[in-house]
Amino acid sequence: MGTEYTSPRMRPRLSPWAIGVWLLAALLVLFVAGPLVRLLLQSTPASLGAALHDRELGAAIGLTVLTASAACVLSLVLGVPLAYLLARASFPGRRVVEGLVELPVVVPHPVAGIALLLFLGRQSPVGAALAKLGLEVVNQVPGIIAGMLFVSAPIVVSAAREAFRNVDPKLERVARTLGDTGWAAFRRVTLPLAGRGVLAGAVLGWARSVSEFGSIVILTYNPKVASILIWDRFTLFGLPAAVPAAVVLLLLALGVFLLVQLVAPDRSAR
Amino acid sequence: MIRLSGVTVRVGRFMLQDISLTVPTGGYGLVIGPTGSGKTTLLEAIAGHNPLRAGRILLRDVDVSHAAPEARRVGFVYQHYHLFPHLTVAENIGYGIRERAAGRRQQRIGELAELLRLTPLLERGTRGLSGGEQQRIALARALAPGPSILLLDEPFAAVDPATRRGLRRELRDLHEREGITTLQVTHDFEDAMRLGDVVAVLAGGTIVQSGPPEQVFRYPNSAFVAEFIGTGTVLRGKLTRTSEPDPSSGRFAARFEAGALSLEVVAEREGDAYAVLRPTDLLLSRGEAAGPAPRNRFAATVTRVERESALAHVYLDVGGTALLAAAMTSTADELGLAPGRPIGVAIKATAVHLI
Repeated sequence: MGTEYTSPRMRPRLSPWAIGVWLLAALLVLFVAGPLVRLLLQSTPASLGAALHDRELGAAIGLTVLTASAACVLSLVLGVPLAYLLARASFPGRRVVEGLVELPVVVPHPVAGIALLLFLGRQSPVGAALAKLGLEVVNQVPGIIAGMLFVSAPIVVSAAREAFRNVDPKLERVARTLGDTGWAAFRRVTLPLAGRGVLAGAVLGWARSVSEFGSIVILTYNPKVASILIWDRFTLFGLPAAVPAAVVLLLLALGVFLLVQLVAPDRSAR
Repeated sequence: MIRLSGVTVRVGRFMLQDISLTVPTGGYGLVIGPTGSGKTTLLEAIAGHNPLRAGRILLRDVDVSHAAPEARRVGFVYQHYHLFPHLTVAENIGYGIRERAAGRRQQRIGELAELLRLTPLLERGTRGLSGGEQQRIALARALAPGPSILLLDEPFAAVDPATRRGLRRELRDLHEREGITTLQVTHDFEDAMRLGDVVAVLAGGTIVQSGPPEQVFRYPNSAFVAEFIGTGTVLRGKLTRTSEPDPSSGRFAARFEAGALSLEVVAEREGDAYAVLRPTDLLLSRGEAAGPAPRNRFAATVTRVERESALAHVYLDVGGTALLAAAMTSTADELGLAPGRPIGVAIKATAVHLI
């Protein structure tokens, strides 16, 4: 097509506008990729090997994965019903609830940590009640999970809400007229169709939990999650001590990033 | 049987008010109305998706006014089909009969697929199917559990005219064969004329007229209904009595005047009125119209002629008043109808429907 007036080698000339756009985009990509590549290059196979045999780092990463997974499960159990309500139901104050759920995204994380400390500490009614039930939050593993849940739940809820909004409610109505109860229609129609979006949100939320530092450092310094261990080593022993642990955490984050790419909704196919 | 009495539903700011309608067992009812008149809301209320604020819904003589949708056992087909995109065609059709044994389920899917010419598509996904195919799958899916009541939301709106004709025929055959009580909403009066036993005209959330389609078409009770269903030309004018009333019927001869047009009519009252002139009641002839005495005769100018296969729509001008007439295409040819040509028009006094 069009071969009579253009050869395959010919490319349209870029306008100054297009050059500007490409240049600015490339600058930002470099700015993001540069430090990460630099960090990866900083580690040697030997230092990486040593890091993998570092028992304290291993324990911190294990704790991070475990607590991030617990926060992820909690955010799904509590967040999916909320997301479904926000997507489908109209009730007074819906927009307020919607705004409230997204608030943690704009709250600085140390502020979130202080707020959680005040809310869940032993001096607060909630913290005291939990302590009576044998659940200590501050300076314990539940404190880590609380910090992670606070920062990751908005991501899960908003991803799930969008996923549910993309499923036409009439599909559920059709399922109901075909004999499904509300729960059956949700399980057989809505969830399979929104599942990919919910899962992508869960993975992103999990990754956000893994990277959390600001609120956890206030709630539970010990036992240490990976981000706090890296901070600890940097302040105590300097950069060389922090780099191998940082590289391991970066590789973990990259793995999750690839996972998100795999499960994220394929919009082009819709 | 579907019986609605005083049904009132509110969805957001929209309100369906005091809807009463009966479709007898095995009957075919049509609700016709413009976009936004509440047609889909009404069907969804019958299916149990919209809670009632007032009134009662009886299906098969059982009060289901507050029953859950799954307890009402109605088949529902939406305008845009709403096939489940994560399931194959066969899985879509079999969705409502999953509790049946696999063999019986497959048999039912097979039967419906054959009936609606879907067999080659059964193992396919739903992407890339034509509008007509999707419509037939949605219909098969609704019919699979064997409902005795079927609700159809504008089933022909999104398909091409040829598919529409085919689907209409299939639906009529299916209805006659299975004896399913059907209520269809549409904005196309042709559906009502071809399919319906009962038709109700919905406007602004209320039923403004209902009855057999032919009766509603011939005797619309308001200018809105006449214009919406396309009964004919609706003229606004004034009625003046010209004779004493007939003692038995109370009717009298009168003159209806609208612009340059003055018609002899049979009326029941005087004053402001609408006259509906059905296109087929306007008789066209070359020169002065011939015919028996009580006919109105006047001269008109042809402004446009639209020929369909058998029928021609003839647009006329009578001193600034526009009229629509219909003639057989052959008659239109014989009369040499073309824009700008003068033509004689006649209409019986009794054929002018007054509102």
